[in-house]
Amino acid sequence: MAVATTPRGYIERPRPSGLADVIEVILDKGLVIDAFVRVSLIGIEILTIDARIVIASVDTYLRFAEAVNRLDIVQDTDSQGLPELMETITEGGAKSKVKGLAEGAKEAVTGDDDDDDDKSQSRSRSRSSSRSRSRSGSSKSS
Amino acid sequence: MTDLAGKVYVYGVIAASGDTAPQVEGIEAAPVRLVGRPELGALVSDLGTDALSAPKAVRAHWRVLEEASQDATIVPVRFGMVMESEDAVVARLLEANQETLSALLHDVAGKVQLTVKGKYDEDRMLREIVQSTPAVAELNERLRTVSVEAAYYDRIRLGELVAAEVDHRRVADTVAAVARLEPLAEAVREQEVREPNAAYDLAFLVRREAIEDFTKAVGELDRDVGDRIELSYIGPAPVYSFAEANLSEGSPAWA
Repeated sequence: MAVATTPRGYIERPRPSGLADVIEVILDKGLVIDAFVRVSLIGIEILTIDARIVIASVDTYLRFAEAVNRLDIVQDTDSQGLPELMETITEGGAKSKVKGLAEGAKEAVTGDDDDDDDKSQSRSRSRSSSRSRSRSGSSKSS
Repeated sequence: MTDLAGKVYVYGVIAASGDTAPQVEGIEAAPVRLVGRPELGALVSDLGTDALSAPKAVRAHWRVLEEASQDATIVPVRFGMVMESEDAVVARLLEANQETLSALLHDVAGKVQLTVKGKYDEDRMLREIVQSTPAVAELNERLRTVSVEAAYYDRIRLGELVAAEVDHRRVADTVAAVARLEPLAEAVREQEVREPNAAYDLAFLVRREAIEDFTKAVGELDRDVGDRIELSYIGPAPVYSFAEANLSEGSPAWA
């Protein structure tokens, strides 16, 4: 895949979609059959709600604050963009720790389980989802 | 929960090339069948129980659509739509919305969905933000000397400032990505991003013959964004994001 003369291989072909790639659109897009005509929705409200991480939230702000605070920045120089400097920040911290709720929801349906300290049920926000799903909110699955 | 046993689950609306349903198992391993007419049909399967497992059902829904869209034009129905009977599917879904559905099928015929998602290298982005935004740098410095508990609201403020900068980048980067890719697509949908370090989530409707050119453009975009944004390029998939209609009996209105 990698081309010898480039620092890394650029994208050359699409990757076939796995369920995890499309779970959000499956739950959120597609034709909607009006409530008067359909019988019911399967009670998966909980999944769709969990998938809706709200990025403009206090959680996100605190997380960003923590992340910038952790950066080891030399304040009084203009040495931005030094690759060596970048390397000193390991990937472990912010990224894996604050895996989003959407990931949690994905795992719930796709069965991946590489990290479950952030299972999201308790933090799910009950933003009632649009039009069509209002009916089955009480029937949590599983 | 409503009784589901004996009801019919709907996967998608299809203009099948032949008159056979795809050989794929549906929800609860039930056979998937084609109802209606070949030029305007629906893929359905029968439900035998009220106690469905949502994860398994989602997986089955996805598999049926993936499989069916290999060699037919299909407009996906959103997950979870169940109707009373096969007759109801034919009369109240297909016939009642014939005009809308035929138009949709026509619009997506021979096309696939390709999705391009961008994710920021977060450390790098945050670093840039601190260095280019004095207000962020100042507050950040100040907070280093204050205990975490004491500065709760200031930390939220700092996070807000950072989030606003991230948003600016999102807007600019989305515009750039769309400008690069849209000319090779029939349509684009900008989808809500759900991760704090997400740059964009763009669904493109692309003619099958144009996939190769589109892919080249994605490669160029990849080069443009360098290490700043990590791209995922996913597909071809059923045209989930372009199946936009709210179907009710007798009102063929677009959503």
